Amino acid sequence: MKTILSNKMKLISSSVVAALLAGCASTGVQNPSGVPVTEMKGDERGFVAGTGVESQDLVTVADKMARSILKTPEIAGAQGIPRIVLQPVQNETRFPINKGIFLTKIRAELNTKAAGKVRFLARDQMAALERERDLKRSGQVTSSSDPQVVELKGADFFLTGKLQGLSTRTSKGTSDYVLYTFQLVDARTSDIIWEDQAEIKKQGLEDAAYR
Amino acid sequence: MKFRHLFLLSSLGLALSGCVSSRPAKSAWTPTGDAVTDGKTAIAGGPARDKVWWQYRTALAAMRRGETTEAKSLLDDALLTVGSISSGDKEARKSRGYFQEESRKAFRGEPYERAMANYYRGILYWMDGEPDNARACFRNAQFQDGDVENKQYAGDFVLLDYLDGLVTTKLAGDGSDALKRAQSTFKGGALQPYDSKANVLFFVEFGKGPTKYATGGDGEELRFRTVPSAVHSARLMVGEQIILLAPYDDLNFQATTRGGRVMDHVLANKAVFKSATDAVGTAALVSGIVVAQNRNTREVGLGLVAAGLLGKIISSATTPAADTRCWETLPQYLSFAAAVLPAGQHLATVEFLDSMGMIIPRLTKTVTLNVAPEPRDTVVFVSDHSQTSKPL
Repeated sequence: MKTILSNKMKLISSSVVAALLAGCASTGVQNPSGVPVTEMKGDERGFVAGTGVESQDLVTVADKMARSILKTPEIAGAQGIPRIVLQPVQNETRFPINKGIFLTKIRAELNTKAAGKVRFLARDQMAALERERDLKRSGQVTSSSDPQVVELKGADFFLTGKLQGLSTRTSKGTSDYVLYTFQLVDARTSDIIWEDQAEIKKQGLEDAAYR
Repeated sequence: MKFRHLFLLSSLGLALSGCVSSRPAKSAWTPTGDAVTDGKTAIAGGPARDKVWWQYRTALAAMRRGETTEAKSLLDDALLTVGSISSGDKEARKSRGYFQEESRKAFRGEPYERAMANYYRGILYWMDGEPDNARACFRNAQFQDGDVENKQYAGDFVLLDYLDGLVTTKLAGDGSDALKRAQSTFKGGALQPYDSKANVLFFVEFGKGPTKYATGGDGEELRFRTVPSAVHSARLMVGEQIILLAPYDDLNFQATTRGGRVMDHVLANKAVFKSATDAVGTAALVSGIVVAQNRNTREVGLGLVAAGLLGKIISSATTPAADTRCWETLPQYLSFAAAVLPAGQHLATVEFLDSMGMIIPRLTKTVTLNVAPEPRDTVVFVSDHSQTSKPL
């Protein structure tokens, strides 16, 4: 009897010690030495993730749009080189974004993949361009052509986009759907000559400690 | 056998003391009394789990001093953390364990606190001429407020819906749905219809917001302490215009209508475990002492005593206390006004009024506005705690 009880006590004590030590094992600092820098591609999903707009979305969407624009007959079969002006993207989601980054990425993709087929006008540099032209006209700086001739190009098309979102939160988690639509608008007729879309849906559930 | 028990207890003692000593030491810094300086010091040198907590408070202190660049950078960093999904967060998982406090997890705040961080960031985006990003923040703020147990109170900030609609209207969209939502939750009468020509936007806040405390046998229940504010409304005077600023939202109401959290169930379980192990420990200890009196059963009795002591140790090591870290500098009331003013410099005065409508003179703020030419809006943030005389 004594031996049985003694063994039971040992078992209980050992279990309790194990439980306590297990509790202790989780104490301290997470990643006390930090996490080394991990280089990732822009289209990779990193270990830091949310349900919002992320770099992999930007890369995927911009790549799809750039390819799609190049297939548009008005671009592919254009007589001259179409000039495009970028217009700000409208953000209607719940995620604040750097609005210029999508169009910058699309422009860079187009310039890389189809050099010469389209050309973008640097309207964001207009103030500097006008100042330089005025300096040339006033003779304060040299000019390689007649500064009185208007050479600043007008746009054939405007490229713009819109981000719209649909968010849901239930006890099962958070779901975010973002619809990206981009348009190429004829500057002369207002015709929408091209439009394409991409959609990305993400879901996640917070740790119970935050619910 | 006695030695074996003694050895066991000593080992446990060491194990538990090991737990305590392995915690990160709090970095020592002497507060200067300057909320922004102290906040930045705490963010740089304090525990990582408190970083967002300090960022929230420091950002608001900076906003109240007109230091918007500082506030932006702090809120951006905080919202990056809050915006990521915490699934798989090891510290969060550990904070659910029996022997770790809830406050071990990285602070993100309750829904009303997360909503306010987004609200303030939205104001700053609007100040920078990015109303659509401001709207994104207001929408996200409302979304954060959806994380409540009682869905009747989910996403019920009046001002956030109102601002959502106002931005949409100003961007040539249809803001009527958002205005309807705002009106349906507003208890103070009819909301001001949108004026898309309004180019000066006043975000005014006043009163002292909710604080947190823990109650229950082991402090496992999170509660909110609300103190009625001395300030009940405000009055804005700019040019010939006098605008009464009634509260759109009450953060005391927002905090106390959240309902239970999933974490409350975890903490309740911890509390039950703590009391159960304590009761079992007491019973084993008492019965062990009794049994040990008899020479024939002494060994069993000592075993029970040891088990009882273990139960007591486990009980005392269990930490069900709720996390009471709180953004205690939040206001109680949020208000808003939109005005049409010509570009140029204007003097605006905001008077804060008590429940009788009397001015509280020590709180009156006078600000010089530099109204931007169209189409840009001029955004003014005024708190009864504002400490700036800088032109806005």
